[in-house]
Amino acid sequence: MQVRLTQRLTRAAIALTAIGLTGITAQAETVRVTVAYYSDKTGPYFQQMADAYEKANPGDSIKIEVVNWDTLLQKLQTDISGGTNADLAIIGTRWLLDFVKDDMAEPLDGYMNPAFKNRFIGAFLAPGQISGKTYGLPIAASARGLYYNKEMLTKAGFPNGPKTWDDVIAASKKIKASGSYGFGLQGKEIETDVYWYYGLWTNGGEVVGKNGKAAFNSPAGIKAATLYKSMIDQGLTQPGVTNYSREDVQNLFKQGRVGMMITAPFLIGQIKKEAPNLKYGIAPVPKGTTSATYAVTDSMVMFKNSKVKKTAWKFLDFLFTKDPRVAFTSGEGFLPTTKEEAAAPAFNDPDIKAFVNLLPTARFAPTVTGWEDTAKAVSDAMQAIYLGKAKPADALKVAAEQADKALGQ
Amino acid sequence: MARTASGRPLTPWLLIVPSLALALFIIGYPLYNIVFQSLHEVSRFGLIKDFCGLDNFRKVMADPVFMASLWRTLWWTLGVVGGTVLVSVPVALILHQDFYGRGVARTIVMLPWSVSLTMTAIVWRWAFNDEYGMVNVTLQRLGVISSPIHWLATSNWAFPVEILVGVLVSVPFTVTIFLGGLSSVPGDIYEAARMDGATAWQQFRKLTLPLLRPFINMAIVLNVIYVFNSFPIIWVMTQGGPSNSTHILVTYLYERGFRLGKPGEAAAISLVMLTMLFCFTLLYLRIQPKEGEGS
Amino acid sequence: MMRIDRSKLRRSIICWLVLLPLVVVVLFPFAVMFLTAVKPSEEVFVYPARWLPTTYRWANFTDMWEATKFGVALKNSLYVSISSTILAIAVSIPAAYAMARFPFQGKGLYRQFLLVTQMLSPILLVIGLFRLAAMIHWGEGNLVDKHISVIVAYGAFNIAFAVWMMSSYFATIPKDLEESAWLEGCGRARAVWKVFLPLAVPAMTVTAIFTFINAWNEFAVVYTLIRSDANKTLTVQITDLVAGRYTVEWHQVMAATLLATLPVSVLFAWLQRYLVKGLALGAVK
Repeated sequence: MQVRLTQRLTRAAIALTAIGLTGITAQAETVRVTVAYYSDKTGPYFQQMADAYEKANPGDSIKIEVVNWDTLLQKLQTDISGGTNADLAIIGTRWLLDFVKDDMAEPLDGYMNPAFKNRFIGAFLAPGQISGKTYGLPIAASARGLYYNKEMLTKAGFPNGPKTWDDVIAASKKIKASGSYGFGLQGKEIETDVYWYYGLWTNGGEVVGKNGKAAFNSPAGIKAATLYKSMIDQGLTQPGVTNYSREDVQNLFKQGRVGMMITAPFLIGQIKKEAPNLKYGIAPVPKGTTSATYAVTDSMVMFKNSKVKKTAWKFLDFLFTKDPRVAFTSGEGFLPTTKEEAAAPAFNDPDIKAFVNLLPTARFAPTVTGWEDTAKAVSDAMQAIYLGKAKPADALKVAAEQADKALGQ
Repeated sequence: MARTASGRPLTPWLLIVPSLALALFIIGYPLYNIVFQSLHEVSRFGLIKDFCGLDNFRKVMADPVFMASLWRTLWWTLGVVGGTVLVSVPVALILHQDFYGRGVARTIVMLPWSVSLTMTAIVWRWAFNDEYGMVNVTLQRLGVISSPIHWLATSNWAFPVEILVGVLVSVPFTVTIFLGGLSSVPGDIYEAARMDGATAWQQFRKLTLPLLRPFINMAIVLNVIYVFNSFPIIWVMTQGGPSNSTHILVTYLYERGFRLGKPGEAAAISLVMLTMLFCFTLLYLRIQPKEGEGS
Repeated sequence: MMRIDRSKLRRSIICWLVLLPLVVVVLFPFAVMFLTAVKPSEEVFVYPARWLPTTYRWANFTDMWEATKFGVALKNSLYVSISSTILAIAVSIPAAYAMARFPFQGKGLYRQFLLVTQMLSPILLVIGLFRLAAMIHWGEGNLVDKHISVIVAYGAFNIAFAVWMMSSYFATIPKDLEESAWLEGCGRARAVWKVFLPLAVPAMTVTAIFTFINAWNEFAVVYTLIRSDANKTLTVQITDLVAGRYTVEWHQVMAATLLATLPVSVLFAWLQRYLVKGLALGAVK
C-alpha cells in the first residue's frame, strides 16, 4: 500500500517535471520547508513527498523541518530576524496579514494559472487572499461539528443528536441523571474563545463587526455566555471546566464519560485508534436562532526573500496535486481543500461528509490584525464567567474594550 | 603580608580575563538586541520597524495584567525561594550526618534535578489532572477527599501548587550548595565545641550558620534570579490562566512576545525584570555584612 | 565484624523519618513516570484511574527509543553537557582563585557583571543568541545548528555560578597552607597546583554537577540553536513529543523522561561521595 502510493506519487512528480522542463531547465537547488507538526504522520509524509519530488527532479533537494505548533511562531520569529528563514512555510492563516504587512510573503498569483486556481474549493482559498492577491495556499482545513455518544443520546431521547441548544440542555439533564456528564465544555488553552463562539454565532451574534470593531458584546453574546454558565451551574457540564483543554474534553468523550462535545474532524481518527468500540454520531453545532460553525485553514506561504522561488513553486505545485493531497488529508484527518481530492473514495465517508456538509454555514477567522488579542481577551472573559468571578455582561464589556484596542490599529 | 612577585595588581585581572571575555561575548549582543528591540516597533515576525521611544514600556505599564503579574511574581519568588531555603537547611544538615543509607538519601534528594524543568512540570500537570491524575486518585483511595479536587481550575489551588512544585525542583540545587559549604567546615571545631558543652542548637547557631552564611547568601541570590525568571512550571501547568490569575512576569512576557506577536513589548518587560533583579541583588549584597576573606 | 553501631542505627532511623515526607514527594513523580511508562497505551486513560497496569509493556521503551532517536540524542546530550562543563570550570577556576585570594580594583564590578549575565530572562535572550550564531561564519556556513555554539553559550552562562561557588569555597581553604609551600621553595603557581587545587576538589565537584545538570536539562537555547534531528539533544527530543500536539503518547513520553534521568542519577550516586565532610580535613591535619 505504502509502496503503491510512493509509485503513484513518483509518477505524478515525473509528469509534473515534464511540465516544468518545458520552461527553463532549472539548476540544482535546495528548497527548505518549515512544516507544522500535526501528528506523527506529518514528518514522514513530507519526507516522502520530498523524496518523491527529488526522484523526479534529480539535482533538486527538499529539506523538511518539522516544528511543533506551540513554538512555530517563536521559531519563525527567530529565523526571520536571523535571516535564516526557509523558502516555504506552513503558518496559521490568522498570521497571514502580519506576514504580508511585513512584506515577507511572495504573491503567488504570478505562478498560478486559472487551472491551478481551479483546483481549490473556493471557500478554502479565500482566507489566503488579501486585497485581491493570493499569498497562502490552504494546506490544511477543518470545520467543527458536534460529536455525540450514540448510546447516551439514544437513552436521553435524541438518537440523532441534539438539534438545538434546548435539546442539548434537555439531553444533558437526562445524561446527568444517569451519572455521566452531559455537555463537554472546554475552559482553557487554545480555542477556549472558539468554544463560546459556537453559542454566539448560532444565536445570531458576531465576533468582529463590519466596522472592524468588536461585536461580541451583544445580546447574543450575553445569551450564549449565560447559556454556558447556566449549564455549568446546573451540573450539566463536566466539573472544573477551566481545567479542561480541548484535548482533555476529547479524552472524556473517548472514555464515554461525556455525552456531547464540539470539535474538529481529527477526533474521528483518534476514536478509531483509541476507542474503537465507542458508538458516536456527528451533528451540526446546535442551533439557537441560526446555524453556524467554525472553519479554519492553515496556509503554505512562500518567502519573498527566497532565492529558489521557481523550484519552491514546483514543489508547491506537486504538493497540491491529487495524490499528495489525498495522502495528507486522509492521514491527518482534515477536510479536502481541492476538488479532486474531495472526489476521492477516501472521503466518501459519512463522518467526513458530515463535516463537509457544514461548510456552507462556516465562519472563518477574519483576516484582521489583533485577532489573537481578541481571542485572548474573550478566553479570559469566558474563564472569569465560568468561574463565577464576573457577570457575563461585565466580562464581555471589558473584553470588548481590550479587543477594540487591538483591532483599532 | 607576603605579596610576593606574583602579587602585582595585574595578576588578578589576568586570571579573570578568560571568563570575562567569554561572558561578555555571549551576553553582550543579546543584551544590546533586547534594548534595541524595546525601543522599536517590532512586527509579529520579528522585523524591526520604526523607533518608538518608550512606547513599548508605556503600553506594558498601562496593562493591568502587567501590574498584577508583577505583584504575583514577588509572591512567587518569595514563596519558592523562602520555602526552598527553609526546607534545604535542615535537609542539608541531615544529609551531612553520618547515617546508614546516606548515599541513597542524598541521591534521592537530588533526583528532581535530574529531570528537566519542562518535563517535571508536564509530569506534575498530569499528576494533578482532575480525572486521571494520580494525586486525586491517591487522595481518594486514602479517603482524604471524597470527590476529585479541581487543582488547576482556579488560581486558589493552582498557584500554591505551582509554588510547591517550584520549591521541590529548587531544593536539590540548594541542598547541594549547602552540602558543599558544610564539607568545608572542619569537624574538629564541633568536637571542641562539644567539649565546651555547647548544645546542638548552639553549635548550629554559633558555628554552622556563620560558616554557611556565604553559601546561604549565594543560594538566595541565585535562586531569586532563577525563580524570578522561571518559566516552565507555570507555563506548562496553567499558561498563566485561568483568566490571567497565575501569570508571573516571565509567562506574561512569553505570551506577549510569542503568542500575541509583540516582541517589542516583550523586550521592554524583560528590561523591567532585569532592573528589578539588579536592584534586588545590589540591595541584598549591600545589606549583608561583608564576607571577609578567610574569616 | 558486622557490628551494628547502635547509636548510628538510632540516628539513621531518625534521619530517615525526618526525610520521609520529602522522599515521598520526590519519588511520587518518578512513580507516576514509571507506572505510566510501562502501561499499554490503551490503559493510560482509563476511568477510574489506576496506579498499576494490568500488564507491564516493556516494549514501550524500545518503541520510544526509535521514536525519539534516543541513542543519537543521548550522545549529543552527553557531548554538549560534558564539553560545556569543562569549558565553564576551566575559565572559572582562575577567576575564582583571583576573587578568593586577591583584593583588587573592580572586584565588586566583576561580580555584579557576572550576576547580570544570569538575570536576563533566557526566553528573550535566545533570539539575540540566534542572531549572533547566524552572524558568525563557521566552516561553510554559520554557527546555527552547530554543537559548538550551544557549548560556548552554556559555558558562558555557568561562569557566574561557578566563579561564585568556587570562590566562596576557596576562601575557606586556609591561606597558610599555600604560604608554607612558598616557604618550602614552591613557586606560587606550583603551590596552587600541588596544595590548593587538591583541596578544592569538593567545590569543583559541586560546580561541575551544577553545570552538567544545567546543560543536560536546558531547553530554550538548544531548541533555538539546533535544527537537525542528528544534532538534537534529549530535552528537545522529549519535549517535542509533548508540546502542541493533538495527541500525546504519554507512555512513550514518560519512558523517555525516565530513561533520560538515568545517566544523571548515576552521576549523582557516584559524585555525592565527593561531598563528604572532611575531604578537605585530611590535608589540614
